[in-house]
Amino acid sequence: MRRRLLAWILAAAMVLLAGCGGGGDETTKAPGADQETTAAQSGTETTAAAAGQTDRGPQKIVVWHSMTDDAGILMDQFVKDFNEGPGKDLQIEVEAVFQGSYSDSSTKLRTILQNEQYDQLPDVIQIDATGIVDYKNCEYAFTVDDALKSDAGYDMGQFMNAPLKAWNFGNIQYGMPFPASTTVMYYNKTVLDNAQVMEAPTTFEEITAAAAQLPATNADGVELIAYAQIPNTPTLANWIGQLPGAGAEASYVVNNRNGRDGNATELVCDKDGTLEEFLTQWKSMYDAGAVKNLGSGLSDMFFAGQMVFFTTSTSNLNTLLTTIDGRFELGCSFYPRINASANYGATISGASLCMFNTGDDAKASAAWDFVKYLCSAEVQAKLSMGTGYFAVNNGAMDLPEYQQFLEDYPQYSVGIEQVEKTSEDMAGVTVGPSRDFYLTIQDMITMMLEDNMSVEDTLEEMSGALNDLLDQYNRSNQ
Amino acid sequence: MPAKKKQYTIDMAVTVVSLALGCVIVFPVVYCILGAFKTRVEFGSYPPTFFPESFANLDNFQEALDKTPLLRFMLNSLIVALMGTTVRMAFSILAAYAFAFLEFKGKNFLFFFILATMMLPGDTLTITNYLTVSKMNLLDTYLGMCITSFVGASQMFMLRQNFRTIPRALRDASFLDGCGDLRFLWSVVLPMAKPVILTLSVQSFINLWNAYLWPLLVTNKEQMRTVQVGITMLTSAASTNYHLILAAVTLTLIPSFIMFVILRRNIVKGMTAGALVG
Repeated sequence: MRRRLLAWILAAAMVLLAGCGGGGDETTKAPGADQETTAAQSGTETTAAAAGQTDRGPQKIVVWHSMTDDAGILMDQFVKDFNEGPGKDLQIEVEAVFQGSYSDSSTKLRTILQNEQYDQLPDVIQIDATGIVDYKNCEYAFTVDDALKSDAGYDMGQFMNAPLKAWNFGNIQYGMPFPASTTVMYYNKTVLDNAQVMEAPTTFEEITAAAAQLPATNADGVELIAYAQIPNTPTLANWIGQLPGAGAEASYVVNNRNGRDGNATELVCDKDGTLEEFLTQWKSMYDAGAVKNLGSGLSDMFFAGQMVFFTTSTSNLNTLLTTIDGRFELGCSFYPRINASANYGATISGASLCMFNTGDDAKASAAWDFVKYLCSAEVQAKLSMGTGYFAVNNGAMDLPEYQQFLEDYPQYSVGIEQVEKTSEDMAGVTVGPSRDFYLTIQDMITMMLEDNMSVEDTLEEMSGALNDLLDQYNRSNQ
Repeated sequence: MPAKKKQYTIDMAVTVVSLALGCVIVFPVVYCILGAFKTRVEFGSYPPTFFPESFANLDNFQEALDKTPLLRFMLNSLIVALMGTTVRMAFSILAAYAFAFLEFKGKNFLFFFILATMMLPGDTLTITNYLTVSKMNLLDTYLGMCITSFVGASQMFMLRQNFRTIPRALRDASFLDGCGDLRFLWSVVLPMAKPVILTLSVQSFINLWNAYLWPLLVTNKEQMRTVQVGITMLTSAASTNYHLILAAVTLTLIPSFIMFVILRRNIVKGMTAGALVG
C-alpha cells in the first residue's frame, strides 16, 4: 500500500512538472538562441570592430535601463527611433529592457557576476553610483576608453566636462553620462516677491536674511518655513566641495579626492577646517530659525506653499512645474553656498551607460554605436526637454528648438549654467560603508542642532564616528 | 441577569475594538482607491483631501495603462500565481497527508528537516536559486518564475496540523469500506479541510502575486514581467507619482479582491478552524 502511494505521488509530481515545463518552453526560445546566431554570423568579421563600420554584419544588442515614467517612455522612443533610423543603416537592432530601479538592476548585475553567468550580461547597462563599483571590478567591462581605441576619430570634446568626470575613476572613463542632473535651489518666487525679497539668496547668510523678512504664516494660515534639510553625504560633498582647498579648487570630505583616485580611508574635512566652517554656518542658520532639521516630505511642503526654498535635483523640474500648476511662480537659482568666499557648484548626479564585451568585438562596437546615439545632441536635447535632466552634449545648444525651449522655461538653464561654473575638481563621495556614512552624518548634525551641542564637540564626535566606519569597512574588506 | 449584562458589555467592547481595528486595516486600501481618482495637483494641495474632487476622473488609470503594458503584466502574474499556488498546494497536501496519517522510518526527521527550511531567510537563497534556474535554462519562462515556490514548508505544516484533527478511526473505517489512501484523501480529508486549504491557497496566491525581486531577476523580456515591476515603472526618479501608482495598485488589487469575495465564507471558517487547532 505504502509503495503504491509513493508511486502515485511520484507520478503526480512528474505529470505536474512536465505540464509546467511544456507551458514555459513556448516562451523560452529567444535570448540564448538569438545571441548564438548573431555571434556565429559575426564571428568571421570581428576585425571590423571600428565603430560606424557596417561590414561587421547584423547585430542585436540588449540594453538594460532603469528609466521610469516620462523618461522611460522617452527611452522606448529613442530605441524605436534608432532601430528604424540609424540602426537600420548600421544593421543594429536594439532591445531595451527595463530592469527595475537602479538598485534592482545592480542587484541583478551582482547576481550574474557572482554566479559567473556571463552569457546573461547585457551589452549596455545603465548604472548609477550604487552599481559602478561592481562594474569597475568586472573583467568584461568594456569602458569608453576601450571603445575609443578603435574609434579614435570620435570627439569627446563635444561633451560637458563635469558630467563626463563623474564617471571617470582613476583616469579611466567607465561610462557615458545618461542622464545627468545636478542639485539646484528652487524657490517660491510669489512668496519672496510679496516679502520684498527681490534677489534669490546665494549663501547661508543670505538665506537667513531672507527668512527674517518672511511672514510667520502662509496664505493658508500655516507656519511658513524658509528652508529645511538634514545634511547627508551628497549635500556635504557639495558644501565642502565649494570651498577652495590646498592645491585644488575644491575641498574633499574623505581622502583620495573623495574616494575617486583610490579607496577612501580617512576623513579629511575635519582637519582642514572645512567641516568646522560648515557646521558653524549651518548651526547659525538653524539658530536664526532659517532652516528646519527635516529630511522627508520636503517636496510636499514646497508644493503646498509651506516652505520657500527647496534644494533638489534638476531632474525634478518637470514634476515641479506640473504639480505646482501655476499656483505660485517657481524660481530657480544656484545651489546655495556656505559663505561668500565659496565657489558656486554642486556635484553631478544621474546615471551612466556602461558597456560589456564578453568576447564578441563586433557586438561591443555595435553597443558603442548605440551609446553614441543616445549621447548625440538631438537625443540629449529631447531628453532634457522631456524631463529636466540637462543635455550633456554641447551641440544641443545649437539646435533651434532647444534654444527656444530654454528661452520659454528659463528654470532649465540654471542647472546648465551651474554645471559650467562647477569646478572640475569637485567630486561626489564614494565610500564603502555608504549607507552608514550617510546616516551618521545626519545623526550627528541632528544631535548638534536638537541637543544644542557645540560645533567643536560635534566636529570631534563626527570625525571619530565617520573615521571608525571607514576603518571598520577597510579592515573587513582588505 | 447581571451576568447577561456583563456578557453584553463585553460583546459591545469586543465589537467596538474590532470595528476600530478593521477601520485601521481597511483605511490604506480605501485611501488607495480614492487616491487613484485624484490628480497630481490634488496630492500637492493644502489641506490634504480625503475624497477626490471627482470620481469621473479616470485619467490616472488611462495614463498608467498607456505608460506600462499593465494588462499583459497582470496576465503574467496571474499565470505565475495560479501555477505556483496549485503546485504548492498539491505538494503540501500530499506531504501533509503522509506526515499526519502514515507511519514510516525517519518521519520525524523528515518533518523537522522540512520545517527547518522555514528558518532560512529567502534572500540568502536568491543567488544559488538564480544559478540553478539559469543552469536549467528556465530564465524568461513562467516555470522559472514560480519553480522556487513549488514547495512551501509553512503550508505543509499548517495542513498537517489540520489533518491531525481528523480522527484516525475515520481512516480505519474508510479502509474497512475498501478505501485506499488516495481515495480517503480525496473523498474524506480534502472536503473536511476545505476551509484551511482555500485560506492557504488565497494567502499563497497573494504572496506570489506580490512577488517582486525574484520575477525581476529571472526575466529579461518585457513581455515576461509581472505586475509589481509594472508599478515600479511608474515611479520616476524625480517623484513618486502617487496618482499613477495608486491607480495601478487599485487595478492590481482587483484579482485578489475577487478571490477574496468568492472565498470569503471559507476564509472566515478557515481562520476559526486554524484558531482552534493552533
